[in-house]
Amino acid sequence: MSLPCGIRNFSYHTDIAIIRTKTQWVLFILFMLALSVLPFYLPRSWFDTVNSIGILLIAVVGLNILMGYCGQLSLGHAGFMAIGAFTSALLTGNLHVPFLLALIISGLSAGLIGLIFGIPSLRVKGFYLAIATIAAQFIIIWILQNWTDITHGSNGLDVLPASIFNWQFDSEIKQFYLIFTFTIISVLFATNLARSRIGRAFIAIRDNDLAAEVMGINVFRYKLLAFFLGCFLAGIAGSLYAQYRGHISYEDFTFQQSILYIGMLIIGGLGSSLGPILGTVIIETLQKSLTNTIAPWLEHTMTFMPTGFSSGLNLMLFGLAIILILIFEPRGLAHLWALFKSSYRMWPFSY
Amino acid sequence: MDILIQNIITGTATGMVYALIALGFALIWKSSRVANLALGQLVLISSWFAYSMLVQFKFPFWLGMLLTIAFAILLGWLIERLALRPLIGQPILSLIAITLGLAYFLEGLTAFIWPQGQGNLPKVFPQTSFQIGPAMIQQELLWAAVISLILFILLSVFFKYHRMGIAMRATADDQLAVQACAVPVNRVFSMSWIFACVVAAIGGVLISSIAAINYGLVETGFKSFSVVILGGMESFLGCIVAGPIIGLCETFGGSQFGSSVKELIPFIIIVIVIMIKPFGLFGEERIERI
Repeated sequence: MSLPCGIRNFSYHTDIAIIRTKTQWVLFILFMLALSVLPFYLPRSWFDTVNSIGILLIAVVGLNILMGYCGQLSLGHAGFMAIGAFTSALLTGNLHVPFLLALIISGLSAGLIGLIFGIPSLRVKGFYLAIATIAAQFIIIWILQNWTDITHGSNGLDVLPASIFNWQFDSEIKQFYLIFTFTIISVLFATNLARSRIGRAFIAIRDNDLAAEVMGINVFRYKLLAFFLGCFLAGIAGSLYAQYRGHISYEDFTFQQSILYIGMLIIGGLGSSLGPILGTVIIETLQKSLTNTIAPWLEHTMTFMPTGFSSGLNLMLFGLAIILILIFEPRGLAHLWALFKSSYRMWPFSY
Repeated sequence: MDILIQNIITGTATGMVYALIALGFALIWKSSRVANLALGQLVLISSWFAYSMLVQFKFPFWLGMLLTIAFAILLGWLIERLALRPLIGQPILSLIAITLGLAYFLEGLTAFIWPQGQGNLPKVFPQTSFQIGPAMIQQELLWAAVISLILFILLSVFFKYHRMGIAMRATADDQLAVQACAVPVNRVFSMSWIFACVVAAIGGVLISSIAAINYGLVETGFKSFSVVILGGMESFLGCIVAGPIIGLCETFGGSQFGSSVKELIPFIIIVIVIMIKPFGLFGEERIERI
């Protein structure tokens, strides 16, 4: 990590600190303040977008642990999220388990299912693992679709909003604080994980798993741990999603969603803590504004096209964005931001 | 008894079509080690193109088919030139991710141009079904299977004897050595994508003239991955053996446990194969070194 000039570290602790300069502290506190007063200034129509960004961010951070740090591709993340959502919905709805407990159990159950589909990662990697996780996605969704006694098939389940110690999260503003508490916890968790022993082992495995094994890293254990952590966060996101939407069915967790998460991560930047945040915020905002404003306008003006053509626009632009990012900036927007920062610091000698 | 024979023939024939699509995957994997996850979307977009030619512009069948194949050639060339070539030498994660981006893009493009979501090609093959012993067989399925088999034989011969085919096999083996022998590696890659798209287009027209054009074609693409995994990724023979196996499992599973289970069977096979014998029936096991 490059530092502004004149900053020196005199101890190991200051060297590995996340926030190091006074300016960074000021900016961080300002950002947290801005985030905590955001709901009071946000237009009503934007709450939905902001809250779903918070939920998706948890899932994408989980995917980043798995894919960005440990290098294991998961094309079934929406499936793991579905497990979390249904576990939490069933626990709170049928068994009246308190929300916080249900949240943790749904994370654990998604993590355990993730472990099962992570087992092949010992022997295979790359494309084979991608296919195994595609299979995971389809098998999970099939079970949710056909186990109608419990999941009610396409009718779905109704979920009550979360309540913690008789405190009901029944409005959008309260939901905002609930969701973003967990979002911030998981972002901090992932950032700290990346600079711990575990995170360094993940990165070694990503860069060359044979070399990592020779160096004495238990590759299988760490790969499974990555699967567990990634799917645990997906399960937490699913649980929050269920109680926020109030109604879930298997149709909310399609294969396209899984690719969407991967795309967000790639566009944001793999293997950095800023990447998932940038990717999720930008893509989700763009998609919402595309479907809500631009698509109706296009339908209105371009009458020579067949009706309903704008439904493909979202997918098309998103696919194009993934392709362009991979060709021109494979390290994502986070890397662009880092380049901008360093050239700003070096200005006027930024070459 | 008659149900049994009927299932065997239907399963084998459906499996042959899966095998045809999987062949398109193996072609690209063999020459350039790119895993094409946009398989189903390629099938989808070329079927829709054929729909435009045959139904919307009402061309005769031979002309429409020729134009579809020309479109597939153009599509394959464009994909390789614009999306894959800049990524030569990148890590496998990027290569997989770019085909995912491609899948999304093509899917959006089809929804953009053909928003109706459902279409029917004119029936190409005779509709009458005929009897083998006590079983009634749909004729069109058999036609599809025969065409797949012919294409498979043609491609195998091409790979075995034609200069380009030999160059493709050599490229798969060692790109650097082949480049030193003055084989145009770029052209090999682009040829393999063109072939794959043509195969996907033919497979698409075959399936959608039997059933219909809809999002199910993309799922057919996913099911073809089970053929690829079971047969082994490097092997044409693997595709053509594993295809009917998957088809048979699907039909028999469907008739045993109900039609909803049928959708699941290819994915269960994927999980079992990857757990037990990850490199498939005919695939070569890779030995890695640091």
